[in-house]
Amino acid sequence: MKSATLLEGFVDFPELLDRVEGDQELLAELLALFQEDLPASRAGLQEAVARGELHEIERTAHALKGMLANLSAKHTAALAAEIESAARAGASQRVPELISTFNPEIEAFSAALDSFMASAER
Amino acid sequence: MKILIADDDTLSLRLLQKTLERAGYEVTAVKNGREAAEEMCRPEGPRLALLDWMMPELDGPAVCREVRKQRGLRHVHLVLITSKDSKQDIIQGLESGADDYLVKPFDPEELKARLRSGLRILQLEDNLLEAREEMRYRATHDSLTSLLNRGTIIELLARELTRARREKSCTTVVLADLDHFKSVNDTYGHPVGDEVLREIGRRLLGSVRSYDFVGRYGGEEFLVVLNNCGASKALSRAEQIRNGIGRTPITTVKGPLPITLSLGVFASLGEDPRAVEDVLCEADSALYQAKAAGRNCSRLASAAIVASADSQY
Repeated sequence: MKSATLLEGFVDFPELLDRVEGDQELLAELLALFQEDLPASRAGLQEAVARGELHEIERTAHALKGMLANLSAKHTAALAAEIESAARAGASQRVPELISTFNPEIEAFSAALDSFMASAER
Repeated sequence: MKILIADDDTLSLRLLQKTLERAGYEVTAVKNGREAAEEMCRPEGPRLALLDWMMPELDGPAVCREVRKQRGLRHVHLVLITSKDSKQDIIQGLESGADDYLVKPFDPEELKARLRSGLRILQLEDNLLEAREEMRYRATHDSLTSLLNRGTIIELLARELTRARREKSCTTVVLADLDHFKSVNDTYGHPVGDEVLREIGRRLLGSVRSYDFVGRYGGEEFLVVLNNCGASKALSRAEQIRNGIGRTPITTVKGPLPITLSLGVFASLGEDPRAVEDVLCEADSALYQAKAAGRNCSRLASAAIVASADSQY
């Protein structure tokens, strides 16, 4: 799969293919589900940060981490995990900084996914 | 095999569902812990579940506790899926009643192998229950004729007498004894005697209704309990049973053998206060009368009491 190079640097592609047992259709479905869900998840996280609700930050970051990990987006998942654990530890002062690292990363990943999905359709 | 999966993460739920369906499972997917617990507690619900740890309403460990409480009798195999992998979390999960756990993101091969280990436990339980059922059957049935054994038929008779007393209805007890059975054994050997006893058992069962009871009372004695059968019908029912045996010779390896029965019949009245032992005594003395009258006949016990029997029966 040539277009997989589009996800290079974001996704451990061989691991992801193993997880879906080589099912390209399922893979496309999962990526679409992720993209569909992402705006609401990010908005939820953003809102929790704005309100300073640590428990809600932990929960939404956990959910994002879970989805990213399922897609083998390891680096981005690790960033979400850092937000989750900072929130759990009550380190509210660290959260904005972590968010500012996470946001561009997830945006870049999502954009790469769009290109990948578009090239896969062609 | 049915399996329940519960995860509030749509992506994860879809991935699990597809992986499990490919592996041949019949998947029920739910998005929160409350629904998961309800599904698992239904009588015909799945016996295998994959539960996400963090879920709205009830989290994975809470689902485990709930299901263990509700479905205490049968084993259900519960696997927690978690991204928590600290020792503390794992202990807490297992203590809540989970049988196993998987760290996500999961590897499909590991997932399937763990489910197979769960299936082995469920299979083991099925085997044990089957064995217990078989033991229960053996403990209540006669091994030669497959009729109820002595202990069980007496117990059922006692229960019927109590019920008849409460409902002011009637119960008829027929004690049947094979005539000259000893000579069958002596002449043709015990295997032929056994053949005869088995066939008698089949014919007795065939000559009663589905809600009557037939048991092997002793060597060549059988006890038949006819529920809701009063004195007016008791003797004719006993005659039917007698003819069911005597009319057609029994086929054996040594050729057809004519076998006859003598029967002692006792019909309890609505408010009969007699205990099961006394009832059996009555039937036994009626049987003795039948034997004394030349065998191959039925005799009704306690004619004086029977005369006042409720005519509706």
